[in-house]
Amino acid sequence: MGNPLLTFWEHLFDGDDERHQRRAVLRVAAASASQASATIFLILRRMRTPLIVLIVIFAVSVLGLTVIPGQDLAGEPSRMGFFDAFYFMSYTASTIGFGELPYPFTYSQRMWVTISIYLTVIGWAYAIGSLLALLQDRAFRSALALQHFSRKVSRLREPFVLVAGYGRTGELLGHSLDALGRRIVVVDKDDERIDGLELDSYRGDVPGLAADARDPGHLAVAGLDHPACEAVVALTDDEEANLVIVMAAALLRPELPVIARVTSRALAERMQAFGNPNLVNPFDRFGDHLRLALRAPASYQLLTWLESGPGGELSDRGAPPRDGRWIICGYGRLGRELTADLRAEGLDVTVIDDHPEDVDDPGLLVGDGSDPWLLAQADLDRAVGLVAGTDNDTTNLSLVAAARRSRPSLFLVARQNRPASAPLFAAMDIDALLVPSEVIAHEVYAQLSTPLLWRFLREMPALGDAWAAGVIDSLTTVCGTRLQALWKVRLNASEAPALVGLLASTPVRLGDLLRNPENRAEPLHAVALLVLRDGDATLAPDEDFVLAAGDELLLAGRPGARRALDTSLFVPSVLEYVVHGRRVPASWIWRKLTRTPVAGADVRR
Amino acid sequence: MNLEKVVFGFFVVLAATLNFGFFIGDIDNPDLHNPYELFAAVVVNLIATVLKFGDRTQIGAVHLATSLVADLQLIGAALLFGYATYVSTAGMNESWTASVVSLSGGALLANIVSVVLLVVETVSFHRG
Repeated sequence: MGNPLLTFWEHLFDGDDERHQRRAVLRVAAASASQASATIFLILRRMRTPLIVLIVIFAVSVLGLTVIPGQDLAGEPSRMGFFDAFYFMSYTASTIGFGELPYPFTYSQRMWVTISIYLTVIGWAYAIGSLLALLQDRAFRSALALQHFSRKVSRLREPFVLVAGYGRTGELLGHSLDALGRRIVVVDKDDERIDGLELDSYRGDVPGLAADARDPGHLAVAGLDHPACEAVVALTDDEEANLVIVMAAALLRPELPVIARVTSRALAERMQAFGNPNLVNPFDRFGDHLRLALRAPASYQLLTWLESGPGGELSDRGAPPRDGRWIICGYGRLGRELTADLRAEGLDVTVIDDHPEDVDDPGLLVGDGSDPWLLAQADLDRAVGLVAGTDNDTTNLSLVAAARRSRPSLFLVARQNRPASAPLFAAMDIDALLVPSEVIAHEVYAQLSTPLLWRFLREMPALGDAWAAGVIDSLTTVCGTRLQALWKVRLNASEAPALVGLLASTPVRLGDLLRNPENRAEPLHAVALLVLRDGDATLAPDEDFVLAAGDELLLAGRPGARRALDTSLFVPSVLEYVVHGRRVPASWIWRKLTRTPVAGADVRR
Repeated sequence: MNLEKVVFGFFVVLAATLNFGFFIGDIDNPDLHNPYELFAAVVVNLIATVLKFGDRTQIGAVHLATSLVADLQLIGAALLFGYATYVSTAGMNESWTASVVSLSGGALLANIVSVVLLVVETVSFHRG
């Protein structure tokens, strides 16, 4: 024990392990990059023949010109030198044609020049044609695109999120993250989705690679091994591909957080075996949301509002029936989740499906749900809610229409599968609409935007409906029904130097800090949603909450409020005014003259 | 027998032999150094260079490098030759000839390395 050599050895071993892993990742990336350069070598090889043809044609023409006898102006026999011949051929072959230099040609020379003109034109046409054909070559272009992409990714210096699978979900998530000023890198196997990136209105540059994300090499090129990569999100519509992405991330970069979309329980189990990925199951989440909506409509309203990202509109607070019988049409993945969730809430459920796989469910009716007779048999008149949860939008829409016609007061839940059907569902004015891609995008956004928001959303439901309604009220008075900026402040020497200095001498209440620096009688248009101190979260702290150095604050409010708060946190004299209402001199000379010590001034220096 | 190898070997060796043919003889005697031979050496060297494009092996890379050196030297020699003939008032005298021939001598060295590489590659090739 305590042998320094042994410690050293262990240390060396540990480091070696890490290096080994690092090298494995690098090798993966190198394999993919060399694949790109291999294509370029192949292209070079293909240019061999045209180039050799061109050289030979030039050589033969020049040689011919130097050998064929000519005449000078005096009629004396003379031969062209190599330089003259090469000069003549260069401008003739490129169809510039300066004329016959240095002396007018004899007939034998002209005959040779005629032949060589045709030869060189063919040679050039062949060479340029081959070059253009190569530039059009698909393999060559994709190799170039890969190189371009890997260069862009390796030059990224800001933290970025690697998004594998850029469908509707990826697009929504990308825009939410982009609105927060975060960078993303995208891999999708569909060329059109990647081409669409260029037309999308992103603020930051989004590098996109059209490649199969199941290949770890492509993931590595997309920045899996990049030190600035902060998270990996697997959103492809192929569950198996998501599993492969989770595996690759867990094995090559175990420390990275991974979020994956999954709908089947078996695959979720398999993913859990690799590290500890955050799995997002849209149907499961929607079931949880529906339960929350049944129990606490305001909590549900707050949850969906905060999850929708910057610019999200506050939705109406629905009032789903708390007791009564529900009818669920479609007993697939969604139907099962919802049935289980609703029964767990103590509600009665009748299920309708035309091809149920297991028939041992007590309340199961077999048949087509849009059939009025079957709906009548399911006792629609005495039901309180209906879920149109099949994987066919047309069926869902007709179910909703049929149910509403026979009972307008019914609470309607519908599932929208294709983005194209969105206007139809919007026109139907459905009480709760499930769009799987949006559920996933919101969930992933909540996890990635800041850990504080995720914490807030997880702990919020426990505080009850009335509390959530209070938070919504204070948020709407501050920023209206459209969600403004959400940001995080850590009260430390780099993010809040003035406040840390002041906290050392006097306690500061939250309500005093959130005041307008221009006029402290006005409150700032911002609400503190959460304060995290030593791992303990305080949700929606009130005005009298006393701050301490090291606290982390999650705030929501107008962007202007964020700038004003930053001023208060950074400038000691502004902070002094905001907290205590004292105007103190800001400049060093005035401070010396009036002898006012300003707390926090030392920290700033 | 691989036709590609035949063509490749042919041009590499021909480049070296033409270069040697131009180089041999008194270094300052223009009569012993035929400009046509220099021209042929330049052309054949260029072709040999293009033939070496796109080989990804280590030996292929060295092959390409030697060829590029030979091209550089031979084109330099040709430029000097042209300058001496057309621009310089002295014409193709002893000192110009010596410069041209010595440049081609450098190219010859590179070509010899190329031939040696070719031989090494052939010898180290195991059948079966």
